[in-house]
Amino acid sequence: MSTTLLELQQAFRAALLAGDDAALATLIHEDGLPAAERIEVYRHNVVASLTEVLADTYPAVCRLVDRRFFGYAAHEFLTTHPPARPRLAEYGGGFADFLAGFAPCRELEYLPDVARLEWLVHSAAHAAEAAPIAAAALASWPPEATPNLVLRLHPSIGHLRSPWPVDRLWAANRTCEAENAEAVDLGAGGVLLEVARAGHGVALRSLGPGVFAFRAALSGGATLTAAAEAGLAADDAFDVPAALADVFGSGAAVGIELPPDS
Amino acid sequence: MTKIEARIGVGLRGPHLAEIRATRPAIGWFEVHTENYLGNTPALTALLDVRADYPVSLHGVGLSLGSAEGIDEAHLQEVAALAQRVEPCLVSEHLSWSIAGGTYLNDLLPLPYTEEALDAVAANVTRAQEALGRTLLIENPSTYLRFRHSTIPEPELLAALVQRTGCRLLLDVNNVFVTCTNFAADPVAYLHAIPHAAVAEIHLAGHFRTGRTQPPLLIDDHGDVVCDEVWRLYRIALGRFGLAPSLIEWDRQIPPLATLLGEARKAERIAAEAQHVDDAA
Repeated sequence: MSTTLLELQQAFRAALLAGDDAALATLIHEDGLPAAERIEVYRHNVVASLTEVLADTYPAVCRLVDRRFFGYAAHEFLTTHPPARPRLAEYGGGFADFLAGFAPCRELEYLPDVARLEWLVHSAAHAAEAAPIAAAALASWPPEATPNLVLRLHPSIGHLRSPWPVDRLWAANRTCEAENAEAVDLGAGGVLLEVARAGHGVALRSLGPGVFAFRAALSGGATLTAAAEAGLAADDAFDVPAALADVFGSGAAVGIELPPDS
Repeated sequence: MTKIEARIGVGLRGPHLAEIRATRPAIGWFEVHTENYLGNTPALTALLDVRADYPVSLHGVGLSLGSAEGIDEAHLQEVAALAQRVEPCLVSEHLSWSIAGGTYLNDLLPLPYTEEALDAVAANVTRAQEALGRTLLIENPSTYLRFRHSTIPEPELLAALVQRTGCRLLLDVNNVFVTCTNFAADPVAYLHAIPHAAVAEIHLAGHFRTGRTQPPLLIDDHGDVVCDEVWRLYRIALGRFGLAPSLIEWDRQIPPLATLLGEARKAERIAAEAQHVDDAA
């Protein structure tokens, strides 16, 4: 019984990701070039192209660890966490968690948060388009429904809390090949950041604790009541009406819904 | 669906996008990689702006038509939704596979050329054409290895696929040259084994010659100008298949737009000569 197409493709996958050429090599015509060298052409294509995808998404991580180490980390990541689908703009979201558990860069404690920020920036750039709605949209709901409403934020919006000054680290290391990065004081303190698409680019905004908790809760699908409580829990002086007005004023709100179970 | 004339196009790549939107250069059409424009994203907004002035062809790399596991339906639906928005002049994919065990391997991987593989590709092409509601163009791949149990020559397999599914072919002349060189085969004989009415589009690109010379190993990297041998094959292809719309692809070490358009002008001159020969005959 000869090898089925499914078996061949499984053997190819094992060769590309696990470096296990044995099963595939037996199926290949050498034609004057060892099977291992022929397989290597494909393995190189896969590893190099996916490393490039990750380097494009994580330029600051690449700059902070240098390109060689990045290539090593990317190889370990992509062979153990390969893409599931061909839409590669969605690939690489697990890289920060991977780096957090990757022993060779354990001393760089801030690195996973830099990666988290870069993933939010990348995701913001590739998020779906959505048109902002005005505050007047809220008034079209009966007042008794208001506490249970869910305000949908623009799909590009994401939040990051970090004990490190990751916004400065990111700004100082914007390209993988940057020659000289500005020195960043790691002791400068933590940040509460919101990332969102702005015009043709992506903008970072530093938020106070109440506003951060409120907007992060909304972004996570919380009701207005739950989001306001989160804001007040983070900051006694949190000004709910002002924060709500700013959600509309900043163009962040794109929809209002009443969850089906309320 | 927009009609495409037998004209020359170029691949639309990120570094050229702003210049193209600002200057609207004289070129017949643009081709994009389908997977870069999925979803209702800013990338699609930019593409639709270009689309307002030019025909656009969708060239996919992710359908994995050769997968034994069948087609990723979610991906196919995203491609179909994109085609609805763009109204492309052409939609093409490859005779290859890239998905196995739920993993996308991000390369155009080679198939064994067997009856079993032909059945799998034909079923997947049929499913894709059904979802897209249109004829798909299938491109011959560049390959760097052959399987021992292959029994069908590549051009014959492509011809059988056309017959079974009603698809047509995207003949990549550079891939013909790369594959034939890598296996010491005759590229002109390859062209003559392709049914003459099947070719609906032609691709032209540069390749990379590895240090290995005996036998040579060429890699299809789309990183250079089109070489003289490939231009020669292009002339032969035009003579055999007629004036199919033709495209210059350039994906690595992307040059200034002017260089890419220069390659397109060269293709236009060659196509005009072929037209002239046609008219005289």
